[in-house]
Amino acid sequence: MATKQAHAEAARAERSEELLSPSELFHARSRSHKIPVRGQKEFLPTGSEQQKTHLQKSLQEHWTLVAEERVERLGNLVNAEWIPEEKLVKLQSPAGKFWQTMGFSHCGKQCLLPEEALYLMECGNVQVFYQDLPLSIQEGYERFLSPETVTLHQYQVFGHLKRLGYVVNRFDPSTVPSLYERQLNLPLSRDRQNKQLKRKRSHSPGSRSCEKQTSIPQEDTAVGPCEDVLTGEPHQTIQSKKEQDEPMDSGSHVDRAPERNWWTAASSQSRSMTGLPAALPWDFRLISFPDLGSSRAARTCLAAPDPELLPGALQVGECKMASWLTKLNLKEEKLSRRERERQRERDRYKRSVNDDREVRRCTNWAEYLELMKKRRRQRCKERPAHLWEKDVTPLSQPGLCTSHRELLEEVSIIQSSHLLEEASKLPQLDQWRIIFNVYQPDTVADFKKSHPGNPYTRMCVCSFDGPVPDLRVMKQLSFQSADIPVTFAVVDHGDISFYCFKEFKLPSDFY
Amino acid sequence: MDCERPAEDHGTRQNGGAGEGGEAAGAESEGDRERSREPRVNISLVGGTPLLWRAGDIRRVREEDGVVGALVGSLARQPRQNVRLGRPLEILQEEASLLLERGRAAVQHTHNQEDEESHVKAVEAYQSRLEHSYEEQCVLALEDKKAVLQRVMNAKQNDHTCDEGTEQAMRERLSSLQKGFTLPRSAMAVQLCTARAGFGHCPEEAAFLAADWPMPRDERSETRFRVYRDLRGRGFYLTAAGKFGGDYLVYPGDPLRFHAHFIALCLSMVEQLPLCDVLAVARLGSNVKKTVLLCSPRDSGVEGEVVYSSLQWSGMV
Repeated sequence: MATKQAHAEAARAERSEELLSPSELFHARSRSHKIPVRGQKEFLPTGSEQQKTHLQKSLQEHWTLVAEERVERLGNLVNAEWIPEEKLVKLQSPAGKFWQTMGFSHCGKQCLLPEEALYLMECGNVQVFYQDLPLSIQEGYERFLSPETVTLHQYQVFGHLKRLGYVVNRFDPSTVPSLYERQLNLPLSRDRQNKQLKRKRSHSPGSRSCEKQTSIPQEDTAVGPCEDVLTGEPHQTIQSKKEQDEPMDSGSHVDRAPERNWWTAASSQSRSMTGLPAALPWDFRLISFPDLGSSRAARTCLAAPDPELLPGALQVGECKMASWLTKLNLKEEKLSRRERERQRERDRYKRSVNDDREVRRCTNWAEYLELMKKRRRQRCKERPAHLWEKDVTPLSQPGLCTSHRELLEEVSIIQSSHLLEEASKLPQLDQWRIIFNVYQPDTVADFKKSHPGNPYTRMCVCSFDGPVPDLRVMKQLSFQSADIPVTFAVVDHGDISFYCFKEFKLPSDFY
Repeated sequence: MDCERPAEDHGTRQNGGAGEGGEAAGAESEGDRERSREPRVNISLVGGTPLLWRAGDIRRVREEDGVVGALVGSLARQPRQNVRLGRPLEILQEEASLLLERGRAAVQHTHNQEDEESHVKAVEAYQSRLEHSYEEQCVLALEDKKAVLQRVMNAKQNDHTCDEGTEQAMRERLSSLQKGFTLPRSAMAVQLCTARAGFGHCPEEAAFLAADWPMPRDERSETRFRVYRDLRGRGFYLTAAGKFGGDYLVYPGDPLRFHAHFIALCLSMVEQLPLCDVLAVARLGSNVKKTVLLCSPRDSGVEGEVVYSSLQWSGMV
């Protein structure tokens, strides 16, 4: 019965009539759900009968599978409507199991992104209507996929990963925690996640009215402003200065075979780089930090602050530290016996750095390192004339460096760098962008859309027709992605290959 | 199949029709004129990529033009796996160009602006079809249940294990089924169409979008197209070979049953290829046990021949 049905369907599909009759719809429940296994291929076509029958059989199976239409129970289908103005699909009946990993709420309604809706249409879970008529899969592809939403290649990668079981959602650069937040190991706040969901709506003008109704605070809490001040290292501030790149060596017509550059967009020309470390805002030599911890502190007096720093008519005089110090706990520590023993060992064999008078004279790290360097140099004073009196002198001296790594640093002409160095100053790229976050399949059971946690990887989609990502692209994308590795999905005519680039440091120390 | 084709459309198909008519007369029961009146295959463009949606179209282009393509959608029978995919079929730019050149296909408009009236009619038609389907399925479901009950009754009768009491009970059940059974609406089976229903058969639409091919033809795609056309003309089946570092994989027979023999790389006659690229592709070819073909069309006009060179790794011992 099932095969007869299948043959009838295939025959009808041949005549290009793809609508099933009610009896075919009814009997579709008894269709087989198995996919026939493809046998071994042969090497040469010999024209033999056996080959012909084999081929015919394979082809017939193939057409049966290809021509089969999706038939679902009406009760299993979730109804939805396509809203082209917002580029969203709004559900009209309650969502099913897919709600755990897909979709979001907007103005009280459950919504799906276009790629999620299209995937669910292909799985036979959702029926999307537009102007009261159901959309076919073809119309879904044509209407939902566009450069503003998700392109066909990106959708193919999305579908491929979802079919394997991964949880895939859209990447939003604003949800990536900054370097400072990561150093503090701050958990992703709820506001952040809600901001992500809000951001999805902010494309369309029509949704702005909805944002006022929600009770979630729009403004960032303390997390927001702090991160801008303390992002990264304070020395490399965000003041930008334009600085021209060296133009590429495209002018020289050396007789070499040309590089492969069949991609049409010749955007790999010189681009101006922005960003330059500005002058230090603070001069640490002028700022003094009084010593309030030692025994002399009781006698110190803090000078009055500069009246320019004080508000209004406030007048502050000198501050005597004695009274404040009585409030500190200056009781002597009572060490246990073991601790006393340890202290005795330390005193016998180790010498405290602070006993050295010259060290005490240093007021910061830089001076201390200078002192150490000076001492080392004094230790090896003999310098052979044939090495040191000529134009070219050695890069290092014996005894100057204490480890292989230091020696390599002394003699290295090309400084090694790491991938994220100066990556924050790179301008935004328009051709390359991270499009999806991908979460592991085994987390599906406890996956929460509000707290998805860190993704397994982030996906960037490209094709073999386009350029290979260069160092600038990789730096930019790795920086955008924070600690999560970026995977490049290359789509070639339905085949998807995944590549990722890993930073590798050559070892410079030997133990 | 019954639509009338306008005069100019028949005119453009003359060459193709005349050639195919001869073979078709013997094989098909339809006449020559019917054959040349066959509706063209619909190519749908999504972001510049040509896709085929109808199963009939996919089968025709494979059987008649040797266009294989790659299926890129979910399979209807088992959508949550990647081993075997389903419609749409993604075809190469060259394959689409060839089909359009031969007049076998037409590019389908994506958003047709239909007027209010026809839209209302379409909605009504959809609703009435749904209702009709529901009623039919009710009838079928009832018959199905009756058949099951009948089978059970027959089985019991054959066993001679039942007495008058149970037989009476079964007959009562049968009659109550007849009277009171309704198929719940949620149990109705509904089709989720893959291809767009309706359009494409109407000849006015097809003629309207005849030469709507938006692809730019730069030198590289021109070279690739000429190589494709030549190899296809020799009877080989071709698919994309991005993951093999080439342009096409060349099969001696249908890719479903046979392994590829060649990896074709398309170059223009004047193009310089760096030696390290040649070495790389030759080594790749020997690793996968396929011969690498360097293909270049001779510049003598559009119908010029294509020159092939194969790379073979030979050792000098």
